[in-house]
Amino acid sequence: MKRRAVVTGIGCVTPIGTTPDDFASGLYAGRIGVGRLTVFDASHYPVQIAAEVHDWDLSAVGENPAQWRNCPRQTTFAIGAGLQAAQQAGLADARIESSRFGVYLGCGEPFEDFTAFTQAVHDTQSSERPFLEHALRIFDPDTEREYEPDMPAMHLARMLHAGGPVANCVSACVSSTQAIGEASRMIQFDEADVMLCGGAHSTINPFGVTGFQRLSALSTRNDDPQGAVRPFDADRDGFVIGEGAAVFIVEELEHARLRGAEILGEITGYGSAQDAYRITDTHPEGRGAATAMRRALQNADLVPEQISYINAHGTGTPLNDRVETLAIKQAFGPQAYRIPVSSTKSMLGHATTACGAIELAVCLLSLKSGVIPPTMNYESPDPECDLDYVPKQPREVSCRHLLSNNVAFGGQNAALVVSRYDESSSATVQVRWAA
Amino acid sequence: MSLTHNDRVEHDRQIVITGMGIISPFGRTAAQFWNKLNEPSEAVEGSGSGEAVCAPGVADFNGRIDDFDDLPATTRKKIRKSLKVMNRETQMGVAAGQQALLSSQLLEYYDAERVGVCFGAGNVSVMPEDFQSAVGACSDAQGEFEMDRWGTDGLSEMAPLWLLKCLPNMPTCHLAIINDLRGPNNTITQRDVSFALAIAEACRNIKSGDADAMLVGATGTTLNSINLMHARLENEVCDDSAFSDNKSLDATDHKPFPGEGAGAVILEDLHAAQDRGAHIYGEVLGSASASFIGHDGVSACGQALASAMRQSLRRACLFPSGVGHIHAHGLGSVTMSRAESQAIRDVFGPADVQRPVVATKSRLGNAGAGAGAMEMIASLLALQNGRLFPADPFGVLNSDGPICSGNDGEVTAGDSFLSLSMLGRGLGSCIAVGAFRD
Repeated sequence: MKRRAVVTGIGCVTPIGTTPDDFASGLYAGRIGVGRLTVFDASHYPVQIAAEVHDWDLSAVGENPAQWRNCPRQTTFAIGAGLQAAQQAGLADARIESSRFGVYLGCGEPFEDFTAFTQAVHDTQSSERPFLEHALRIFDPDTEREYEPDMPAMHLARMLHAGGPVANCVSACVSSTQAIGEASRMIQFDEADVMLCGGAHSTINPFGVTGFQRLSALSTRNDDPQGAVRPFDADRDGFVIGEGAAVFIVEELEHARLRGAEILGEITGYGSAQDAYRITDTHPEGRGAATAMRRALQNADLVPEQISYINAHGTGTPLNDRVETLAIKQAFGPQAYRIPVSSTKSMLGHATTACGAIELAVCLLSLKSGVIPPTMNYESPDPECDLDYVPKQPREVSCRHLLSNNVAFGGQNAALVVSRYDESSSATVQVRWAA
Repeated sequence: MSLTHNDRVEHDRQIVITGMGIISPFGRTAAQFWNKLNEPSEAVEGSGSGEAVCAPGVADFNGRIDDFDDLPATTRKKIRKSLKVMNRETQMGVAAGQQALLSSQLLEYYDAERVGVCFGAGNVSVMPEDFQSAVGACSDAQGEFEMDRWGTDGLSEMAPLWLLKCLPNMPTCHLAIINDLRGPNNTITQRDVSFALAIAEACRNIKSGDADAMLVGATGTTLNSINLMHARLENEVCDDSAFSDNKSLDATDHKPFPGEGAGAVILEDLHAAQDRGAHIYGEVLGSASASFIGHDGVSACGQALASAMRQSLRRACLFPSGVGHIHAHGLGSVTMSRAESQAIRDVFGPADVQRPVVATKSRLGNAGAGAGAMEMIASLLALQNGRLFPADPFGVLNSDGPICSGNDGEVTAGDSFLSLSMLGRGLGSCIAVGAFRD
């Protein structure tokens, strides 16, 4: 018997909504979360805008924020989203065998304290031995431990008594997509019955802004934050750094049914592929992205005609949006022109490793609502981006099978297919080795 | 021990190891590594590859193109071009991966779209020297650093690709790009247990039909200043006094010295490997990982390790008595040694019925995420050679006996082994590998 992976809990903390309901309202209202950067003083930086999570802390999920003060922003987002998902799934009341409950997140790299780091570089002239001695004096062990990418997964495993496999992956902007896909595979392969999966990230810090600005990836529309992210628009000039988290409870179907959990959707397809082209550029024809989407469709046992919406990576950089459009055409053929495609980064900014999870949450919410979110700021068509990008207004669509696509620096690509749960559905996940 | 239906199903597709590569303090080839493992252990000397700490690194690996051994001209050209955007961990990972690919001759037989890469890696490594000129540009006339000038004067001095240089997923990306490997590609960042998780994920990639073969590895270092700082703050390596006092690190209660290294193996479906006449070094019989973190935050990585061993044995259809040897994590700190020792006793029984146990961190140092790969390769080579490498007694903590009672190099390696990894915050993992008998 094939094991199916279904979603029974969603949690999200984003710049446009800090609960799934609030998030859905923001998406369908076209709420744009981009504004002046406030997390640190960026007034002298070439880029001064970001999509930040405002007016939220862990008290929203019953935690004492003071107890988490050593943690980076991404950890608090992950904990918030994880506890929301666990609550929706009813895990507190469920009898789950601890060793069959795992965690797989795609949380990115939190960086050192920038002020302390640069001051140490200055004071020691970056000479290794003096730098080490200086660093051991000034960096706090408890804080440093929290600044490792696997810590959100470890915290959630502890808080929710998950005694199964715990993992974190970092594959840039496809991290959380891969985490969800691999977590689903672990269920299908009978390595777990329940997986908490997703991702969280914030690169709104001097390291992040410096890194992406030097890669020439960021929009510099400092005077127009709300109009800065313009996916697929002819006047797009880059992405805006964002932050946030989305976390899911993914569960084996029979396990969920036996305990009477509400099934919010099914992870039916997952594909991963590499461009194998350049470390900085996507393949000019998007071969990796096309392969990942094709694999996700094959894995779901679906054909392009059955997909009713694509949530694109859609960063708003000139290269990404053109190449992703080509990739969608390769993967979907003539159907590419029929399927609505939107980029919610126009509202959310780019939450880097967390973006795939947040965008899967978008798809799951669309399964429920029958409404797909728009691409905001899409005003001037680009001849090289000629699909239906759902400009500015949400749209009612019969949502049955939706695909979320992500692309990363370094050439990594991953896609997920999520389907409305239908007890009589034959769209089960293919596990070719299964009996 | 009973087997579930799915335990048997997993065995429907056997995954074998058909290539290996290693960059270690004991050499840059599998042969050098094995030979050095068989030499008598030496007192730690400060041979040093970095200036941050006086410890043995991979002394003859300097990140130059000639360190990547004999490669086709086109491959050398690609690597040479990319070296400037690789940090040391990435360079070691790429070198180990290239060796593994070469030894398996995999790419002569497979469609590149069907070959993937999965690596374990450590944390992001922001190198102080990458910031030197940018920080210098923000200094005032008196030489004081002015943070307010970073956005205007410092940022523009940073190398455009510095961010990519320090990201942990770069080994997998470079290996894919250099060799046109277009299959699944992922990087696990779970510190010391990363390699075991990468092996498990790669097996799923093959069994699910997403890939025909996977290049799996891990790379790490605790020698650079940032990683060493983390390792010392986490109590995972010894401090300088171990060197200045010239303490032996092989006996009872000492954390390993900082180290570095990388290892990589090729995994593929048994039948495909046989069809192409590949040399089979061993078979991945099963793997598992588990966590155990009390609600009060107190981790019990020993219980996690015991759970991982039991699951791994079940998936491998092995009884404890059938295991040839155990390659312990062997970190050497009091807490970790006690936890690991107890876990082995829990699964294998009292010391007098345990299987032979070896550990190599006391000799190789703590290479962080890279250690798991080097340790599995050490045991694979032991399977190939039919005997264990000499090991010093290790982890003698109490009257229950040592984790590793030591051996003189004449002990049989058996037909299988368990490779164990632990993370003090509450994780344990286990890979079960068997010799392949056609």
